[in-house]
Amino acid sequence: MRAISVAPAAPVDAAVRAIIEIDDIDFHYGPARALHDITLNIKERQVTAFIGPSGCGKSTLLRCLNRMNDLIDGARVTAGQIRIDGVNIYDPRVDAIELRKRVGMVFQKSNPFPKSIYDNITYGLRIQGEKNKGRLDEVVERSLRGAALWDEVKDRLHESALGMSGGQQQRLCIARAIAVEPEIILMDEPCSALDPIATAKVEELIHELKKQFTIVIVTHNMQQAARCSDRTAFFYLGKLIEFADTRTIFMNPANPQTEAYVSGRFG
Amino acid sequence: MLRVPIAMPVVVETTPSVRLPTRVALLRKRRGWFFGLSGDQFVKYVFQGNAMVSIIVLGLITFTIFKDAVGFLPMNHANLVVYRVAGLEYVDLYRSQVTAHSAISRYLASVRSHQLDILTKQEGLAPAAAMARLAGFDQFANSFADTINEQETLLGTMTDLVTAVKERQKVAEDLVEAKRNLLAARRGATAERAAALQKEVDAITPEVIDFKAEIQPLRALKPDLTKANATQVAAMKALVAVPPKFSDPELNRQMAKFQGFVAGYFTEMETTAQKMAAWDQNRPIGWWESFTAYAFGREWVTASFWQDWYGVIPLLTGSLLISFIALLIALPLGVAAAVYVNQVARPAEQKFIKPYIEFISAIPSVVLGFFGIAMLGETLRRLSQWPALDWVPGFPMAERLNATTAACLLALMAIPTIFSLAEDAINNVPRSFKEASLALGATRLQTTLRIIVPAALSGIMAAILLGFGRVIGETMVVLLCAGNRIQIPDFSAGVGVIFQPVHTMTGIIAQEMGEVVRNSIHYRALFMVGVVLFLISLLINWLAQKIVRRYRIVAT
Repeated sequence: MRAISVAPAAPVDAAVRAIIEIDDIDFHYGPARALHDITLNIKERQVTAFIGPSGCGKSTLLRCLNRMNDLIDGARVTAGQIRIDGVNIYDPRVDAIELRKRVGMVFQKSNPFPKSIYDNITYGLRIQGEKNKGRLDEVVERSLRGAALWDEVKDRLHESALGMSGGQQQRLCIARAIAVEPEIILMDEPCSALDPIATAKVEELIHELKKQFTIVIVTHNMQQAARCSDRTAFFYLGKLIEFADTRTIFMNPANPQTEAYVSGRFG
Repeated sequence: MLRVPIAMPVVVETTPSVRLPTRVALLRKRRGWFFGLSGDQFVKYVFQGNAMVSIIVLGLITFTIFKDAVGFLPMNHANLVVYRVAGLEYVDLYRSQVTAHSAISRYLASVRSHQLDILTKQEGLAPAAAMARLAGFDQFANSFADTINEQETLLGTMTDLVTAVKERQKVAEDLVEAKRNLLAARRGATAERAAALQKEVDAITPEVIDFKAEIQPLRALKPDLTKANATQVAAMKALVAVPPKFSDPELNRQMAKFQGFVAGYFTEMETTAQKMAAWDQNRPIGWWESFTAYAFGREWVTASFWQDWYGVIPLLTGSLLISFIALLIALPLGVAAAVYVNQVARPAEQKFIKPYIEFISAIPSVVLGFFGIAMLGETLRRLSQWPALDWVPGFPMAERLNATTAACLLALMAIPTIFSLAEDAINNVPRSFKEASLALGATRLQTTLRIIVPAALSGIMAAILLGFGRVIGETMVVLLCAGNRIQIPDFSAGVGVIFQPVHTMTGIIAQEMGEVVRNSIHYRALFMVGVVLFLISLLINWLAQKIVRRYRIVAT
């Protein structure tokens, strides 16, 4: 087995509250079943990584958490519940718009709007009706500092966001997500299109963000999962194979499939 | 326990197939398929040939149009020269004075009808009694109208004089033309025939008109004009000194306005006299004027016994007015439909709406025009006569067929263009923008209005421009439904201008091209109109391309 460096993760405290409770979830794309009886709890202010080979359902599960799957025709949760802060988010009374304000998302490909950097960051607040210029300025600075981007772009806030490098664009997307002060940030392979240096910056950022936000990250890069996350869930063919502390998953997995995957023997 | 799948190389025993050594295969010559050409080459030449033919044909068309159009300029120059040397311009100066006087007479008539209204409606008089009350005013108006009689007679004399001169000039021109044709026919004819033709040519002696001498009688009328003016001024002043009085303040105000008009007329009379004195028969007409008379000419008058004018402005304003109204209707509908279909509609609705809208463009325009004449014009007119809609400017409309009738149908034709292109533009907005916006907690409406439409704006703008191109180039509908009055629409009517009949550039070409004499000035003037249309289309396409290129978003 290959040696994998595992960051000294925060000691997993059983007393930490579980903010997301995924309870026996089944998910279908039309007739095809994509998730089978997934049950796991995601704890507050921790980084939880979803790993697994392509098509294993990890992104699907992630997109269930802010109901982005609602946009796909024929895609639906067929059984079980997902509770965030104790509320079933698939309850008809739940407003998906409000949910997404609380559960931010960063996508695989950076997708800044074709607007200025400033307008990208303030978009989330403006659609909520915020017009106060002073408050918007403040949020822009705080979010960009939070995303470790402030020093790089503070002189060109009103230039197009599309003129930034790929890594900067991705951090801008993170800044945009934290500008609306969500509770949870979902990251769908945020570094897969970035070079190693930009990746390192984003990973560093994840460490920082953990202090304020609960983070769920999907990644193909096992080193990344090992470096950044506190807990790791391994999925295979739509099933949750193993979910434990990151250290346990990488050093001492209970399941031979997990071991085969994390040691690079398949996937 | 699941087994970990491990890929193992599969070894299968096969006999290797016989194949050419690589060095032979590389140097092997490809066998010709058609006259020694391979399939690829053949297809390539066919397409190249087609493209070349299209380019040559397009080039020829453009060249022919421009060649015929440019020939207009010297002809219009000659046209304007005759207008001056034969004295038509001089007579028109005087005519403007007479026209000004009759305008005042018409104003008096409108005052009279206003008064009649007051008498019958407010005071409740019977028509006969009202007429009797108006007798004094009528007498005043009639004597006022009579003050122009002498001038009108003089104008008639002058008109007859110069018309005769112009007529002779025309005959002389025709003879010169005939002579030229005969000489052309002589070339290549047999000696015998040539001699006969030569004889014919010699028999033709076109008159050389000495314009200076010809307009002497015109100049000789000058003392008469001065005398007539003096009598008229005296007569008018005497009349105006004792104007009829009214009890109604509004009518008195109108009479005061009338006094103002008369004063204005006196000054105009003086300036006209000065202009006529300063008029110089021999002042040359610049080449540039033959162009400006077209490009800025406010009148399009053809086959007139007096003077032909080829000014594009009435047609251009007509075309632009119609296109503007049509776009005003088509733009919100087309863009809104595109946004709806792309962003809101369910797949089933999409499947229905898209082909349905696109089907509209398959309706032949003559059918739409027919519908406009038979149904829409009449319906709109009925609607405009409905008392509850009196507040709408221009209602009730005077003409059944007008700019708006045509514009409604043109809008219908522009909607598919705008819709399809705008829908494409919206569709090309990367999906990731939409996801990013929704993930930030935006509603669907916010996402559409703040992210998707702005991102597609360049495409939408191009769609609008091309819709405009579609509208301004359309012929059949405007020819049938626009009312075809060759006059600059009266923009002083405010918004009501949209209910006036107009003529268009495309319509005039379609209407008149069939009847004009080939290579005549009128024929070439129509080509000039074609050139303006051509340039407008060129401009629109160029702008649309520029907008799309300039604001294209790099899809991320």
